[in-house]
Amino acid sequence: MKLKAAIIKEFLLLIRDRVGLAILFIMPMILIFVMTLIQDSAFKTLNEKGIPIIVVNNDPDSLGTDIENGLRASELCTVYDSVDGKPATEELAMKAVAEGQFLVGIVIPKGATEAVRKNVTQLVEQTLSTDSILSKSTLPDSVEIKIFIDPITKKSFIASVTSSLREFISGVKTKIMFRTFADQIEELIPDKKKTPLNAFDQTQIIKYTEVYASKSIGKIVPNAVQHNVPAWAIFAMFFIVMPLSGSIMKERTEGSIFRLNTMPSSYLTLITGKIIVYVIVCLLQLVLMLSVGTFFLPMLGLPVLDLGHSFTGIILISVATAFAATGYAVMVGTLASTEQQGAIMGALSILLLSALGGIWVPTYVMPQMMRNLSAYSPLNWSLEGFYELFLRGGDASTVTLAAVKLMVFFVITMIVAMVINKVRRRV
Amino acid sequence: MTEAIIQTMGVTKTFKGSTLPVVNGVSVSVDQGEVFGLLGPNGAGKTTTISILCGLFPPTSGNVLIDNKKLSEDLTDIKKIIGVVPQDIALYPTLTARENLNFFGNMHGVSGKVLKDKIELWLNNFGLSEAANKRVSTYSGGMKRRVNLIAGILHDPKILFLDEPTVGVDVQSRNVIIEHLKELNKKGMTIIYTSHHMEEAENFCTKVAIIDHGKIIAEGSPKQLISHYEGCENLESVFLHLTKRSLRD
Repeated sequence: MKLKAAIIKEFLLLIRDRVGLAILFIMPMILIFVMTLIQDSAFKTLNEKGIPIIVVNNDPDSLGTDIENGLRASELCTVYDSVDGKPATEELAMKAVAEGQFLVGIVIPKGATEAVRKNVTQLVEQTLSTDSILSKSTLPDSVEIKIFIDPITKKSFIASVTSSLREFISGVKTKIMFRTFADQIEELIPDKKKTPLNAFDQTQIIKYTEVYASKSIGKIVPNAVQHNVPAWAIFAMFFIVMPLSGSIMKERTEGSIFRLNTMPSSYLTLITGKIIVYVIVCLLQLVLMLSVGTFFLPMLGLPVLDLGHSFTGIILISVATAFAATGYAVMVGTLASTEQQGAIMGALSILLLSALGGIWVPTYVMPQMMRNLSAYSPLNWSLEGFYELFLRGGDASTVTLAAVKLMVFFVITMIVAMVINKVRRRV
Repeated sequence: MTEAIIQTMGVTKTFKGSTLPVVNGVSVSVDQGEVFGLLGPNGAGKTTTISILCGLFPPTSGNVLIDNKKLSEDLTDIKKIIGVVPQDIALYPTLTARENLNFFGNMHGVSGKVLKDKIELWLNNFGLSEAANKRVSTYSGGMKRRVNLIAGILHDPKILFLDEPTVGVDVQSRNVIIEHLKELNKKGMTIIYTSHHMEEAENFCTKVAIIDHGKIIAEGSPKQLISHYEGCENLESVFLHLTKRSLRD
């Protein structure tokens, strides 16, 4: 009966705390919407039409035309050849990129195709010639294609964009070189059968296939939704530190704990009442966040959240996360001396643990020392568990270790809370 | 001869980080059915003494026997027979009076219809039936005091500790509270009571102890004390005679 009364009391206190409820349910929903849309947009900028590029093509021959046409046909970017209605020049392009009108500018120099052709012709002649003087002569200067980059662009983004551009330009250049080689050989060996037009395509014997090494191969595609929904759901679950530690602190400051301490009820009964209510709240939060990923984000044109194939695994990791979050909140609430202290301690520690745990930035981009530390963040154990299920196609057996770690964390936080409570009463 | 229900023997309490004892060698005996008033100026050690007797924290030295049980050994059993009405309002402001009483009643081990009937009875006795479903945060000071009192008596405790139960309430509320406490005492409940209202204590208590600087400086029935100190006409003059007129923190 005492436990039932404690649960009812806690439930009533919670539903009457509207700010607390908003923190628990609305804040994480907003976070999921905002963060997923931002990250999805960044992902699209890189992979779909979007990067505004100014192209200054001073080479109307094959190389310049092929690069320009290729970029126009590419999904990587949207190509412009004029700045404010004026035909683009190198100076104008540089200025426009510097002013942020375009993210990238490309300048193909005059005579670039001719230079490539000359280069190849000389190379072929050197290769086939027996004349030692000719074979030792130096090659003409290389062709310089300039790429201007907006200075505010992040280094990692520049690397991705320029790498894609270089790969593309290199392909065009190789094609021209191949054609020139073929023409040269035909000139030198007139009896040789004519090289077919699609001969270059036939040389593409190395192909790349990118397959995500998921246990359900080909089914789960990593995207902003798959990454963000579990991450922010975990963050929200751990953010119950705010209302729960606040509830513990209020009982102390408003005096009800004084009365309760004179009653024949144990600390464990009172805390169990809180834990049961808040574990249920955590699970409701998770259900809500997963529903957002499954039903609401697709309405905004985002991919549908794929929940993997292990319902048992989801239950296991969710319940363990809920207990870990609740235990942590109880510990913070018991440790703090005032409501303000509890709020600051709770919020900051969750921000820190979430940053370490890979909620904000993936752990694999962190320095080694941070990666070592992240192994101690319960948010990281939980996130790894959800990624195992949602991205790697794992099942209950593959998330058991993460769940056990989270439950051990819960037990430790409860022991710490009980010890602190005991020490606090020894005045 | 009436049996002592509370006995303290040389109880001393010195808080951590302090060298001065707040309670210094207090030895008192309270008989069953008595209304025992613990009177003293601010900071005299009244609340600390009550807190020790309620088991909120242990004494630094000395022994306490409640209902023939050692406080240090049988705290859980002792908690079952005591009721506490703290000086500060110890209620959940966002819960209604009924919800608060339901929770605290259950925590005392009373439940179901018995609890429901008791809640209705006391809400009615204290004129709170109509406001019972309103949040405590919307109550006046007097209403909060009355709910605070009911929360301590729902389980019919053998001993009731009241730490300044009428502080900050109007005369009407004070009279209702004292009248009902007298009724409870008539039914056999032992009451330990602290107050600054000397007139109230003189009329209400069967025995008083005056405490100052953590020590009991006088003990007896109000009448005994008034007659013992020459020139004193009431308990207030005895109190001022013993504790002097200097201001206290």
